[in-house]
Amino acid sequence: MKKLLAVTACPTGIAHTYMAAEALLKAAREKAVDLKVETRGAVGVENALTPEEIRAAHAIIIAADTDVDEGRFAGKPVIKVGVSEAIRDPGRLIDEALAARPLDAQAVVARIEAEKARRSAERRGLYKHLMTGVSHMIPLVVAGGLIIALSFAFGIEAFKEQGTLAAALMDIGGGAAFALMVPVLAGFIAYSVAEKPGLAPGLVGGMLAAKVGAGFLGGIVAGLLAGYLTRWLKAAIRLPKNLEGLKPVLILPFLSTLAVGLLMVYVIGAPVKAVMDALTGWLQGLSGTNAVLLGLILGAMMAFDMGGPVNKAAYTFAVGLLGSNVYEPMAAVMAAGMTPPLGLWLATVLAPKRYTPEEREAGKAAGVLGLSFITEGAIPFAAADPLRVIPSIMAGSAVAGALSMAFGATLRAPHGGIFVLPIPHAVGNVLGYVVAIAAGMVVTALLVNLLKRTAANGTSQETDEEKTPASA
Amino acid sequence: MDVTNLLQDEAILLDWAVDSKEGCLNALADRLVETGAVADKGAFLDAVLRREAHGSTGVGFGLAIPHGKSSGVVRPGVAFARLKTPLDWGSLDGAPVTLVFLLAVPEAEAGNTHLQLLAQLARKVMDEGVRQRLQQAKEPADVRQALAG
Repeated sequence: MKKLLAVTACPTGIAHTYMAAEALLKAAREKAVDLKVETRGAVGVENALTPEEIRAAHAIIIAADTDVDEGRFAGKPVIKVGVSEAIRDPGRLIDEALAARPLDAQAVVARIEAEKARRSAERRGLYKHLMTGVSHMIPLVVAGGLIIALSFAFGIEAFKEQGTLAAALMDIGGGAAFALMVPVLAGFIAYSVAEKPGLAPGLVGGMLAAKVGAGFLGGIVAGLLAGYLTRWLKAAIRLPKNLEGLKPVLILPFLSTLAVGLLMVYVIGAPVKAVMDALTGWLQGLSGTNAVLLGLILGAMMAFDMGGPVNKAAYTFAVGLLGSNVYEPMAAVMAAGMTPPLGLWLATVLAPKRYTPEEREAGKAAGVLGLSFITEGAIPFAAADPLRVIPSIMAGSAVAGALSMAFGATLRAPHGGIFVLPIPHAVGNVLGYVVAIAAGMVVTALLVNLLKRTAANGTSQETDEEKTPASA
Repeated sequence: MDVTNLLQDEAILLDWAVDSKEGCLNALADRLVETGAVADKGAFLDAVLRREAHGSTGVGFGLAIPHGKSSGVVRPGVAFARLKTPLDWGSLDGAPVTLVFLLAVPEAEAGNTHLQLLAQLARKVMDEGVRQRLQQAKEPADVRQALAG
């Protein structure tokens, strides 16, 4: 029999949440449908849905006017309505849920895209500001990195010949695009904190950070400094009404830029440069065990929350280092970000009987997303079975990251997945890099299937049913 | 403990005549002040009206459950009115309302038994039998019994 799940929630969480729950349960009883309802009201979350229940469910009804932690349902058909809809017409919702078709690969991809957008809209505070800066910086790094790689196609030293196309490409990629990287990072961090008035001091602070050699760390410091300083100035400076118009056009840009600039030049620039130099020096001299260890850690971080804050921390670290001509961590991070979805796809191919048809579709979607370096493709699997899936993908990603570092693979572009591999000079040691990714995939797939089998010994009912659909 | 502990006889109005939603809320809030559940009526009504502005609490079946969470509330309480002439409550099904429950919840009340009771009440009134007994109640005790049963 098809099992249905529902979640109800409303802003105050005193009445409607429970009325909707009751209405759905009544309608389900009348139709003899198996339904469980999670209520998220003022009392808290009651009757919470477990990952196993979500996995076994045919579809999920969300009747809510507030957030209900939808990421959990990434691989499932969802009927989403306002809470009052469930009170008014619960029977229709049950019918709709019963008639819902399991998601195919395309639908899973669409769902994951939506989940990504939801996650980025939900970012708050420092994390949000940093990610605003990073996301505006990425296109510059992509363009710059790939155009520099094109220049190398004429020969690694070709750009040194003045007036050649190779020199022009190097000027575009390195001289302009990469030079803008840190200023844009700082500028948009400040923009995120203080809105439009933050942009000018942020850009200038970032430019100074780049000039003194304080790299992306200097950019982050400059951006935050410019943002919070401008926000404070905006609130602190009070002018008579008739002069208020001068504040945004004259007073704020002048004072904030002057203050940020002086602080960068005289106070912050030098110590941050020292830290950055120490970091890049250490990374450039990194070899053997230490390199492998860094790859392991970055790799595990990439898989841990699949596009969440920990993943973004590792990613930002690697992207920032591109600006300081350190390319190995970027390679390790991208390999490790590709293997979770790729490995899970491989797992569904290697042991199809251990997965529901829905999960095999989600596997196909994950494969496509993995090739494009969209780690979130692993979410439907991780949401359904976090305790077995997350350790498996972390292990696989750690292996991919470690091998990539061990082989000395490099990557000049911060994105692109498998599609940057054919671009000449974008990836250093392509063969080693492909081996690293493949090894990470295999480790992920074998480990997750091993853990799933051990688990299935106790509760093999479900999978047995899947094997003999004729008896159903 | 059951839900009727929150609903005292003084806060039950049967076949009661009122000509507007605001008038109805105001009178029910008065009853909650009398029973001691609400200390600051203005603050409480503000919260209730803010909730109404968010979307009508008329859930259909001739029933409305306005509610407010406010620091003006001392302890959780319920007031009930059965209206003599049905009122327009902007309900989901467009039908006028005859049964009104006003729920009061203190600001700093999270996860305790009283909230559970209010949740229980909300679940109860979804049952048609319960609503019928409320329509037929002759005295406050009948109302309490319908909700207790």
